[in-house]
Amino acid sequence: MITRFITEVKTKFNPFSTSSRAARLFLNYLPPNARKSGMQITTQVLPRSATGPSLLYVKFKDGKEMDLDCEKLGIKGIIEEVDRHSRALQKQADLADG
Amino acid sequence: MPLQFGCTARRSLARVLQRTAANAQRSPTALSLLQNTTGATRHYASVPLSNIPGLKLPDDYVPPTQPPSAKKPDQRKAQLLRSYTSMLRSVPLVLFFQHNSLSATEWAAIRRELRAALAAVPPPAPGPDGKVVDISLAIELQVLRTRIFDVAFRIVEFFDAEAETDKSNVYTHDLSATAYKAHKNAVIDENSAYGQIRALFSGPLAAVTIPLVSPVHLEAVLKVLAPSQPNFPPPPRKKNPGYYDPIAQSGLQKLLLIGGRVESRVFDPAGVMWVGGIKGGLDGLRGQLVNMLQNAGLGLTSALEGNSKSLWLALESRRTQLDEEANGGKKAEEETPTP
Repeated sequence: MITRFITEVKTKFNPFSTSSRAARLFLNYLPPNARKSGMQITTQVLPRSATGPSLLYVKFKDGKEMDLDCEKLGIKGIIEEVDRHSRALQKQADLADG
Repeated sequence: MPLQFGCTARRSLARVLQRTAANAQRSPTALSLLQNTTGATRHYASVPLSNIPGLKLPDDYVPPTQPPSAKKPDQRKAQLLRSYTSMLRSVPLVLFFQHNSLSATEWAAIRRELRAALAAVPPPAPGPDGKVVDISLAIELQVLRTRIFDVAFRIVEFFDAEAETDKSNVYTHDLSATAYKAHKNAVIDENSAYGQIRALFSGPLAAVTIPLVSPVHLEAVLKVLAPSQPNFPPPPRKKNPGYYDPIAQSGLQKLLLIGGRVESRVFDPAGVMWVGGIKGGLDGLRGQLVNMLQNAGLGLTSALEGNSKSLWLALESRRTQLDEEANGGKKAEEETPTP
C-alpha cells in the first residue's frame, strides 16, 4: 500500500464485532515510522456493547478525504480505494519532480 | 541429515520388531497389563499405527516414512499449539493487544518498561505456610501466532479429553485426530467464550499473561501498556524517564488493548480496567467480604434479639401493670370496707 500521501487516519471500532476486522488490519498496513513521518493516527476502541459500524477515515496530502465502509469493502477493497487515489498523487509528484 | 534419519528409523524399526516378538511370547495377563498402561494420563504426540489388540508400538517408535522434524522443537507449530493450549488452561488472566508493526527495539523498550513497573509492585503478604508467591517475574508479554492461537482456543473450549478416555485406542492429546475432529465439528454458540472472543483473533495479536488474578499486577501492566486517565495514569516522567524515551513511546502508541480473558470469561477493555481497579486486590476483596458478613451478622443478631426483647419488654410491662393493678385492687379493697 502506498502510504506516502496519507496525512491523517481516524479509526473507531468495536473489536468484538466482525466488522472491525478491516479497520484493524488497515492500521497494521501503516508503516512502522508512520507517526514519525507526520501521519496523524487516532484510534478509538469502542465498548463491547457498541453496535454501530466501524469508522475509517483517511485524509490525503491534497486534502481529499475518504470515509471507507469497512464492512462492505473489506481490507482488500479499502487498500484498492486508497491506492487508487495515492497512485494519482504519485503520478503528479513524479511529473513535478521530473 | 537424511542419512542419519534413515539410520535412526531403521534402528527403531528393528527395536520395534524385537519388542513385538517379545510381547507375543509373554502370557496374556502380561499383555493385558501392557494394554492397561495406555491410560488417561498418557499424552504422546504419536500416531496409533495398529488397531490390533495387544500389539502396541513403543512410545519412542519413529515411523520410517515420517522421520523426526529437522526444525527446532521450540519453533515447531505443533509445539506452539501445545504451549498455547497449556497456557489457556493454566493462566487465568490474559490481556490481548493489537500490535501494529512494532520494531524489535520498540518491543525491547516496552518489555523493559513492563519489567520495571512490575518490579515496583510490592510483593504480596506471605501465605499461611510462610512462603511468598511473587508472580511479577512470570508475567510475560508475547506475540501470538493468531491462527494457531485460534485453533488452540477452540481445542481448549470444545475438546474434552476426559470424555474420550473410555474409548479404546484413542489418543487424547491436543494434537490428536480426536482433538482435531472435536474442534473442527464443534457448533459454535455465540454466547460461549469462544463465540464472544473469536472476533479478536484476526490480525496481529499480542498477549500479556498473568498467572494469578492479581489486580495489583494488572493495574501495573495497564498503567504501562494502556494508560488512561484518571484510574490508570502513566508512570511519572521524573521517576521513569525510560518510559518517555521516544522509542518506547512510539512503540506504545502502536499497541492497542482490545480485550481480555479473566477466569475463562471474556472482557472488553473497560471490563479489564474494572478488574484492574479492584482496590487492595484479592485481600481487599476478602476484607470487604468479611466486613460485610460481620455487619450482616450484627444486624441479624440484633434483629433476632429485637423480637424476643420487645416480647420480654411487653410481658414485663404487662406484669408490672398487673402487679400494680393487683396492689391497687387490694388497696381499693382494703380501702372500700373501711367507710
